[in-house]
Amino acid sequence: MKIRGKKIGIFFMTIFLIFSLVLAGCSSKESGSNDGGGETKGQTEITFWHGSTDIGLQALKKMVAAFEEKHPEIKVKMVYTEASEGADQKLLTAVAGGNPPDVALFDRFKVGSWAAQEALTDITDMAEADGVSEDLYYPYAWKEANYKDKLYGLPYTTDSRLLYYNKDHFKEAGLDPENPPKTTQELEAAAEKLTKKEGNRFKQIGFIPWYGQGWLYGWGWSFGGEFYNEETGEVTANDPKVVEALTWMASLAQKFGVEDIAGFESSAGSGAMDPFISGQISMKVDGNWTISAIEKYKPDLNYGVTPMPTPTGTDFTTWSGGHAIVIPKGSKNVEAAWEFVKFFGTEEGQEVYFAELPGDLSVIPAVNEKLGRGDNEKLKQFIDILPNSHSRPVIPEGQLMWNEIVDAREKTVRGNGTAQENLDQATETINKALEKYK
Amino acid sequence: MAEVTKGTGVQKSIVAKKKKKYSTNSNLHGWLFASPWIIGLVVFFAFPLVASIYFSFTTYSILQPGEFVGLKNYQELFKDDLFWKSIYNTIYFTVLFVPLSIIFGVALAMMLNMKIKGMAIYRTIFFLPTLVPHVALAVLWMWLLNPGFGLVNGMLDMIGIQGPNWLGSEIWSKPSLILMSLWGIGQSVIIYLAGLGDIPEELYEAAEVDGANWWQKTRNVTLPLLTPVIFFNLVMGAIGAFQQFTLPYTMTQGQGTPANSLTFYVMHLYDNAFKFFQMGYASAMAWILFVIVMALTAVIFVTSNRWVHYQGK
Repeated sequence: MKIRGKKIGIFFMTIFLIFSLVLAGCSSKESGSNDGGGETKGQTEITFWHGSTDIGLQALKKMVAAFEEKHPEIKVKMVYTEASEGADQKLLTAVAGGNPPDVALFDRFKVGSWAAQEALTDITDMAEADGVSEDLYYPYAWKEANYKDKLYGLPYTTDSRLLYYNKDHFKEAGLDPENPPKTTQELEAAAEKLTKKEGNRFKQIGFIPWYGQGWLYGWGWSFGGEFYNEETGEVTANDPKVVEALTWMASLAQKFGVEDIAGFESSAGSGAMDPFISGQISMKVDGNWTISAIEKYKPDLNYGVTPMPTPTGTDFTTWSGGHAIVIPKGSKNVEAAWEFVKFFGTEEGQEVYFAELPGDLSVIPAVNEKLGRGDNEKLKQFIDILPNSHSRPVIPEGQLMWNEIVDAREKTVRGNGTAQENLDQATETINKALEKYK
Repeated sequence: MAEVTKGTGVQKSIVAKKKKKYSTNSNLHGWLFASPWIIGLVVFFAFPLVASIYFSFTTYSILQPGEFVGLKNYQELFKDDLFWKSIYNTIYFTVLFVPLSIIFGVALAMMLNMKIKGMAIYRTIFFLPTLVPHVALAVLWMWLLNPGFGLVNGMLDMIGIQGPNWLGSEIWSKPSLILMSLWGIGQSVIIYLAGLGDIPEELYEAAEVDGANWWQKTRNVTLPLLTPVIFFNLVMGAIGAFQQFTLPYTMTQGQGTPANSLTFYVMHLYDNAFKFFQMGYASAMAWILFVIVMALTAVIFVTSNRWVHYQGK
């Protein structure tokens, strides 16, 4: 009897041990290191998830230090979570498990779907009370942080896309390097002159519409199309102008041989081997970050940037993405978190942050101006187009829409169906998926 | 001395006493030692497994509980073009890869079973690729198969063949993936080698006495006696092939490009679960995969009676 009692004791001790181990594993996150600085009494600690490394991390640290100096009552605990997909999954499970960070950096593109899932804290009232409003930002950036008229985060970074062209190639082909193509017809004509083919291999390729950042979104808007109807809440990826844009992309694919282009694309390198930097492609659509890449790998490259051509040669536009600072649903310190979001998302924090990142663009025009971003003649063009830029529709199925549009583009340029057929099908699929949110 | 004897005497009596107790309490001990594993199994495996059956009948999105919709997810799946495309891709891969991996695996194992000096080195070389993480393997092969500067097309060029655009073409992307996957058969080769080692030497001697040549020995001794191992690798290979994920996911950055020719079943499942917030739908997909794999395994098991020979039977 005595021995049996002892064994039951051991049994329960084992169980207890296992559970305490499990619990220790869970709680170590909270009682763990404090990034060196000790926590003083009355201080609130907020957890801040980010995926920044290298100079991005340095800028973030400067910004956090500036915040802590201004708000001694709040301590920010920075936690690195890998960038891209893994981070989303982590955040998703943390929110679902009821133990999310107080603040997180987040691809603004996903605000729509996460807000629809009620995974983000609605900050509309706090922003209103503190006078943080739309007029501070570029219109598209503010729009992308809102879902169904509620604000779910503050935008903080942005980008835009323009046509890069190689001036030396232009001279060589008898084109005026100071007068880059404005209309799509001019672009096509230039592309023909700039392309040098040997058999089915390209020695030099003038232009591939979808290469780099030449997504159908950008071309669709440049052709005057719209992807979303806000009144009906329906996706309009088969807008006649978008169809026109895709038809034009496919016609170029046929002209230059789509299989040969695909061969060129898959052998294209990155970094120093980027085909634009190495002179294999004369024109491409790409984002402002490419300026820094060229400066790093080939500073003497003679190139220019110009808005993406349109059929009319007027009404130039582009599209922009970027990130937002959000408060995930279930944050334990919403008030302190908002203080931090407000600091980072408005002029004060933005100035500190972007001062460290000379090639990046703020979502606040005044900050870009104050930091002299426009002094760089090329970067200036990327900024100048921002007031006319677009963001992708803020819908719960943003990712599905992205995939569908990429698929439609790929099918069409490969000759599997016409632009109309493929975009009709994509539109139908997305709208059907959207029905469940109505 | 007396002390020691006394000590052992006491110990002996304890051992005797314990032995008696063991017979009644050994179950409890067993459960006790296995409990960490059992708890883990129940909490992290059995529960999610059962839960996912339920979720497959709901619109569960991880963040929202979702509502019960009956068989709607399953019905929707059969209307989903990409679902069929991903099944096609997965079956295409499985049907080609599994037999090829067996043929190459057995052939390689037989070569590595020869009595040659330095065989350990050869065996190591063929096993090494399986130690490379899949992500690194994907990146490595993307370089090798690059149509412009890749080693593979470079070598084809030397003999006057213009190589295809391996990973960029709809037709060649799956064969390329099969080629890449064959790189990792070292694991099954090890199992074949163990199987080969089990074949009694006297059978070969008897065959030699009967005047059998190399092919007759292989055909009538080696292969029949290797069938249990081939059977094992066939089942494991088929299950593994149906769950193909890391290589195509890494190579196509999750897009399954070109034109979804590399969208495999589990990739589509993953997209639905974690990108489109359709955990219910993804659960339904998971159960369909389970049924397919179970059915396939059952078929292999049933037909195995005809071709698998166990020694001593």
